[in-house]
Amino acid sequence: MVQEVTGVIFDIKEFAVYDGPGIRQTVFMKGCPLRCNWCHNPEGLSAQPQLMVSAASCTHCGACAAVCQHPDGCVACGQCISVCPLRLRRIAGERLSPQQLADRILENDDYYAAQGGGVTFSGGEPLMQAAFLQQTLDLLPHTHKAIETSGYADADVFDAVVKRLDYVMMDVKLVDDALHQRYTGVSNQKILRNLKSLCQGTLPFVVRIPVIPGVNDSVQNFEATARLIADAPALQKVELLPYHKTAGAKYEMVGKAYQPLFHTEQPVAIHQEIFSRYQIRSEVL
Amino acid sequence: MNPRIEEMRDFFIVKKGHHARRQPPVDPYCLAVDFQKNNTSDIQRAVQRLLFVLQQEQPVIFAGERIALTRTVPVIPELFTEDEMDALKAKYWIHEKGDVCNINVDYARLINCGFTKKKEEIRQRIAAFSAQGDNSSVEYLQVLLQVMAGIEDSAERYRREAEAQGNQTVAQSFSNIPANPPRNLTEAMQFFRLLHFCMWCGRNYHNTVGRLDQYLFPYLKQDLDNGVLDETSALELVEEFFLTFNRDSDLYCGMQQGDNGQSLVLGGRDQNGRDCYNLLSELCLKASLELRLIDPKINLRVHSKTPLSTYILGTELTKQGLGFPQYSNDDVVIPGLIRLGYREEDAYNYVVAACWEFIIPGCAMDVPNIGALSFAEVVDDAVLNTLPQCENFDQLLQAVKQEIYRQADALCSQTKNLYIFPAPLLSLMMEGCVEQARDVSLGQRYNNYGLHGTGLATAADSLAAVKKYVFDEKEVDAATLVQALRNDFEGQQELCNKLRFEAPKMGNNDDAVDNLACWLLEQFAQSLQGRHNDRGGIYRPGTGSAMYYLWHAKDIPATPDGRRKGEALPANYSPSLFSRCKGPVSILRSFAKPDLSKTINGGPLTLELHDTVFRTPDSIRKVAMLVKSFMDMGGHQLQLNAVNKETMLDAQRHPENYRNLIVRVWGWSGYFVELDKEYQDHIIQRMELSV
Repeated sequence: MVQEVTGVIFDIKEFAVYDGPGIRQTVFMKGCPLRCNWCHNPEGLSAQPQLMVSAASCTHCGACAAVCQHPDGCVACGQCISVCPLRLRRIAGERLSPQQLADRILENDDYYAAQGGGVTFSGGEPLMQAAFLQQTLDLLPHTHKAIETSGYADADVFDAVVKRLDYVMMDVKLVDDALHQRYTGVSNQKILRNLKSLCQGTLPFVVRIPVIPGVNDSVQNFEATARLIADAPALQKVELLPYHKTAGAKYEMVGKAYQPLFHTEQPVAIHQEIFSRYQIRSEVL
Repeated sequence: MNPRIEEMRDFFIVKKGHHARRQPPVDPYCLAVDFQKNNTSDIQRAVQRLLFVLQQEQPVIFAGERIALTRTVPVIPELFTEDEMDALKAKYWIHEKGDVCNINVDYARLINCGFTKKKEEIRQRIAAFSAQGDNSSVEYLQVLLQVMAGIEDSAERYRREAEAQGNQTVAQSFSNIPANPPRNLTEAMQFFRLLHFCMWCGRNYHNTVGRLDQYLFPYLKQDLDNGVLDETSALELVEEFFLTFNRDSDLYCGMQQGDNGQSLVLGGRDQNGRDCYNLLSELCLKASLELRLIDPKINLRVHSKTPLSTYILGTELTKQGLGFPQYSNDDVVIPGLIRLGYREEDAYNYVVAACWEFIIPGCAMDVPNIGALSFAEVVDDAVLNTLPQCENFDQLLQAVKQEIYRQADALCSQTKNLYIFPAPLLSLMMEGCVEQARDVSLGQRYNNYGLHGTGLATAADSLAAVKKYVFDEKEVDAATLVQALRNDFEGQQELCNKLRFEAPKMGNNDDAVDNLACWLLEQFAQSLQGRHNDRGGIYRPGTGSAMYYLWHAKDIPATPDGRRKGEALPANYSPSLFSRCKGPVSILRSFAKPDLSKTINGGPLTLELHDTVFRTPDSIRKVAMLVKSFMDMGGHQLQLNAVNKETMLDAQRHPENYRNLIVRVWGWSGYFVELDKEYQDHIIQRMELSV
């Protein structure tokens, strides 16, 4: 008997159109070992439930402060949520059992199946909750299952999850390890190992590159990436996701400042021709 | 769009070069004063006004145009003085401005036969009526001849001007039409333009374009067969034709700029199950896609056999941010209309009125927007007046049902004694008017009245909240709730928050609330069953709102869903403005639950999708699949928007930068910066729901 674990998710998005084949629902799992400079989902970083506040329309009525019992440090107790007249506060992060998450997914599963889709696990980094994820996947035998991952996980964990999936979308952010460490906070050794495993396998996968100006949009990086994945039989395509200036929008909501190490205003260089040269299909999202 | 069309678009739409030819406005009562003095009959007033405006009109030909006619007269004079109008309103139910509006005439009745043949038919009938001594019929038919003579005179003056300007195409068209049937598509379009132009000159507003792809298709086919046109030149012609709908539209009357009823319906299935979508339907979609203009407003009839490729082309159009196409589902609408008593062949021929009400071309004088049931008010009244006495939820539902029947009684009894001003020109294109010498305004085969149903989601959410908190969980005391509603939640902020943000909301695929919406619609339909209006028609229940979503909202006190007094209701058939729905799939599932064929007056589910989902061909295909899925689930009508809230907010701050920003309002698309702020704000609020 497998011991049941629980997991934390922060959203289930309906009608996801960029997260794999067909119309899909995407489960956002909370917690990420990377600290990418350009991350647009800051609520996905911490593994714990946390308070989010939309400050823009706040009228400073004081109702939240009046009920707060932890003024020195938020513990995400949620006391302040119901008193806000504009409902500008919420807890990002909900703890669920694999069965509870599977039930949520199955609620509309027939719809997504009929539209050629299924479910995609994203985050955060879903592999950070690998045991929870595996148990959830095992409860969805008839669902088309995909993942969006940084690929940052130990080889055995990665392989165990991937063998339960139908489709993988994996980021390859930077091939140069020193730069990878600088901009994401971690080494890319595990990622490149897992990428190799995908390249040698038969499971359909997509390589995604968040194209960040001045960080990874150099010819060298595109070239190096293309070399790694050329000739992979199961590679479907490369998806290029140009950096968008709204990436910083949610930082204030989680009480953080958005301080990227690159100039957000500079144009993004897209070099699709490099992939064409390696006969790799690429598209810009 | 080729350079020629681009140039024309620039002239008429951007530079509005033709406005320079407009005449100074006349006194709107310049005719009515004399009419009153001379005690002129209403039919004579109608014909004299039309002839007056046509005579005032000065022919204007613009360089290179192939389809002419441009308004130079900015004001259409009134038929009645203010005193007379007050007297009429005291005596009759006057709908809107009193003119025949919001119907779809059968243009082909005149286009396909030409005036000469039609006049001959009328003369023969005059002789027959005269032999019977039926003088009033003779007089009426003579009026029709007068109208036709006036139109022929206008056409002739245009012909001479075109000749003088060296425009051979227009001169040749008017040397043939309207006397004879068109020889090609250009002439057919010119004929349509002439009729439509004259309808506006008689202030017959909001009368729709209808199934253009069906009645003009034979002319396209003939031109293609004869090599007069190929697909490319046909598209250019359709684009030029579409531009004519946008020339004078600022002069058309409506609630707001853009509300002008120029609805076009494409596709549909026929009685044999054949798909009527043809090359002209396709060209119309493409022309609209390239022109990106708010007129004509595209409606797409779809059914179980409509291929995904058609939805994809429609989605490309949605991506432009025009707010159309609006989709209607033949598989739900047609059976619904048949159940209401429409003949099968008529039901299969349905079109939409100015917004979305389903009407029949050429044989219906339905008034599909004569009033509206306010679901939110019905529920609120029941709660305020009876909740503390209700022992269980079913008793509250009984009270709601009584309120629905009470409102239905009131609506049906007030819509009596309708008087519509005569419309001889439109009568020439309606069934039986010539044959029986009877004006369309007096009635047609169908004389049904449509009632909108506003605030459905607010009502269903309110009932669900009462059921949950007062009856099931007994967390809120009935008297406390009623008091809080009476006090507009003053001092009850937390209760308001709970109702507003934690109670079940329609749009989340939650049976607890969706089933209540089904029940409300069912009661609405039943409350109207068996009722007849005094024109022999029935009452049709619908899911639309028109402008009532703002009108009703003003008067309704706070509602048990946490809505405060005066806060807007959702437009049409949509989730409440402050419900956080899980997403579009849940919204579609919720709103497809009712048997919509029973409330088939019309009124679409409005779905706002963030414009980022329209980025790639693959994602556009998925949006098209989403639309199709609603129809597959039994949805009746859908209208979706590609929106971006930031754009709207910036447009409020810098309207000068957004002159071309188009948005959907309630049943029509308009230019955002031309709308009153109240409407702009509602759209922005609606957008919070976008996903």
